[in-house]
Amino acid sequence: MTSAPLDRRRAAGVMLAAGAVAFSLFAEPVRAAEDVVVGVIQPLSGPNAQFGIGAQRGTELAAEMINAAGGIKSLGGAKIKLVAADVPTPNTAASTTQRLISQNGVSAVVGAFVSSTTLAASEVTERAQIPLVTFAFADQITGRGYDYIFQVSPKGTVFGEAQFDYATAIAKKAGEKIDKVAILYEDTAYGTAQAKGLRDAAKKAGVEVVLDEAYPLGITDVSPLVNKLRASGAQIAFPVSYLNDSLLIIRALRQQQIDIPVIGGAAGYIIPDFKKGLGDYAEGVLSVAAASGDLIPELAAKYKEKYGSFITHEAIIHAAALDAVAQAMEKAKSSDPQKVRDALATLDTCTGLAKGVPGGCIKFDKTGLNTSAFPVFVQWRGEEPVTVYPPQAAKADPIWRGQTVK
Amino acid sequence: MRTLFTPSRAALLIFFVAAALLPFFVDPRGHLLRVAAMVLLFAAMAQSWNIVGGLANQISLGHAGFFGLGAYTSTLLFLKLGISPWIGMFAGAVVAGGAAVLLSIPTFRLKGHYFALATLAFAEVLRVIANSWADFTGGPVGLSIPFMGSQPAYFAFRAVSSYYWVILGLLAAVCLAFHLLASGALGYRLRAVRENENAAEVAGVNTFRVKLIASVISAALTAICGTVFAQFTFFFDPDSIFSLAGLSVRMAMIAIVGGLGTLGGPILGALFLIPLEETANAFLSSKAAGLSQFVFGVILIAAILIQPRGLMAWWPKPRRRRAEASRPAVAAPAAKGA
Repeated sequence: MTSAPLDRRRAAGVMLAAGAVAFSLFAEPVRAAEDVVVGVIQPLSGPNAQFGIGAQRGTELAAEMINAAGGIKSLGGAKIKLVAADVPTPNTAASTTQRLISQNGVSAVVGAFVSSTTLAASEVTERAQIPLVTFAFADQITGRGYDYIFQVSPKGTVFGEAQFDYATAIAKKAGEKIDKVAILYEDTAYGTAQAKGLRDAAKKAGVEVVLDEAYPLGITDVSPLVNKLRASGAQIAFPVSYLNDSLLIIRALRQQQIDIPVIGGAAGYIIPDFKKGLGDYAEGVLSVAAASGDLIPELAAKYKEKYGSFITHEAIIHAAALDAVAQAMEKAKSSDPQKVRDALATLDTCTGLAKGVPGGCIKFDKTGLNTSAFPVFVQWRGEEPVTVYPPQAAKADPIWRGQTVK
Repeated sequence: MRTLFTPSRAALLIFFVAAALLPFFVDPRGHLLRVAAMVLLFAAMAQSWNIVGGLANQISLGHAGFFGLGAYTSTLLFLKLGISPWIGMFAGAVVAGGAAVLLSIPTFRLKGHYFALATLAFAEVLRVIANSWADFTGGPVGLSIPFMGSQPAYFAFRAVSSYYWVILGLLAAVCLAFHLLASGALGYRLRAVRENENAAEVAGVNTFRVKLIASVISAALTAICGTVFAQFTFFFDPDSIFSLAGLSVRMAMIAIVGGLGTLGGPILGALFLIPLEETANAFLSSKAAGLSQFVFGVILIAAILIQPRGLMAWWPKPRRRRAEASRPAVAAPAAKGA
């Protein structure tokens, strides 16, 4: 701390000047003439990065496919240009979304896998009157009566209900009557919404929930949880969690040789890292999912070729979300956000990447929800999950306690 | 004789005038104004923190707790009872002030790291409560400020510039509060506590009372910042509003990088850090995952290594009397009291 003070002052000047220059760069709008610009916001860093990266790859691939097929034809073959931004937390979502809107002049925004981040971003897009097409499925997203939000997949509670109803239906076919179930969920927006769906479905079916446990995201010791599960006498376990806790829970169950069927709640249960983390323990684990690669093999094959792993449901749904934006532009013959929004609101398509959404179509209702979509069940078979339920979408029969259910 | 216009005061005046005029020179719907508003808001938060953290050297890592209390109080009052956030803002300040009293009674007997850890736990406890008491707080899904167009009576504007001026006014008020505290009798007592708590006690300073007053004022101002933040960003959830890294540490960091215990420090710190972070995000976040945070972190480490006493240490200081200015004790105050 004894060097010449002048150097210090100069250094301070340089630092502040650098800040000022960087700051002034924001004034420059970045926009190519004939491209249509779509913003992509995803958590590319932080705890949800692996989902965000998968989702972003899905959108990138979709943009490539749309551009390769001639772009937006009604706009003279305009190419889709994606502008991506990292939104690790809801705190940064508002500012980042605002940046995409005011600097990049986006026609629409796609993304933000995480529900809370999507809620934060949608408050900005609604005020700026820019359509936001999302896969995030907390019930509040379409529950606020907003006009500029569109959700390609069903609501969180619907996933919860499906997780319960599909599982009991498969068990019934296998000749097992379900009286007691267990719900384990992390206390995030996604976990609580889906747990509520599970709980309501169980109540409706008259099935007792013998264990209903919330635990914090980032839990490091699941053995108390697993001990409670063992003691509860539940016939099915429904864990709802992101990746790390899903690995801990399944590993603990298998190591203690608890053989009750486990039905995961999407997220961590159906990504390549699940298999990587668990190896053989992954085999036969069921999970609810918003989509599956085997429902849209041509996209799945391209994805695998490009990124080296199987396509995840967040990649498929975000690809479909971008395709919905492209089809809306095609229909509106415009990239004006307001016209794109109006075209999205009246969109009714069963072509293109919409085929990747179970139900095969995209048509939004008044609240912005895609009503034709339904959840599916996938089951781990070797390296990839395979769609096993409901029958109209299934590619293979489900296996319940080692028995193939026809 | 003290003159009214010292260079430092003139600089501060120029800063506020320039800041007040900024919205006339930039795109009113643009991102630049939004970033500038965030700079001012974080400067106000860091200045609030500076009252206990800087003047009394009570390094708190739990100020997000007060911040979140402010956001939750005003938003819940509005959502459940229809009370304007302008009023809710002060209700939040009262709630946070009360929480500061409750928190101070057990924690002020702790020193240094132990105090920091106790305050850290305080914000964490609030985060867990907000997450689990879903019927009341909305739970992990968070709370949205309903979209209702321009309603100035309910703290809702269409133009970013309106929020900007509100935030600028807040910063001015917080800076004034800091200045009055620092230059008044309480400020001398707080500095006495910072230099040597036992000696201050022996000299007749009621150290507990002094720290308590500073802590309550700091908490109340932080809560007001919380309300403004919620109104400005339209949405918050427990994990983000009580965030340790995102808010508690950031408030302290801005004050420390700018210059602990100085009036200009939090402003300089925010002017340096927030645009830097935004720039890193804007240009690097689409390149590789986590790259922007990495670059930001590296620059931050460099800044602290080059000037551990903060950016304000570069500021020429003719105003201070010679005896005070040559005092070496300002260096590394964080190590003290441990």
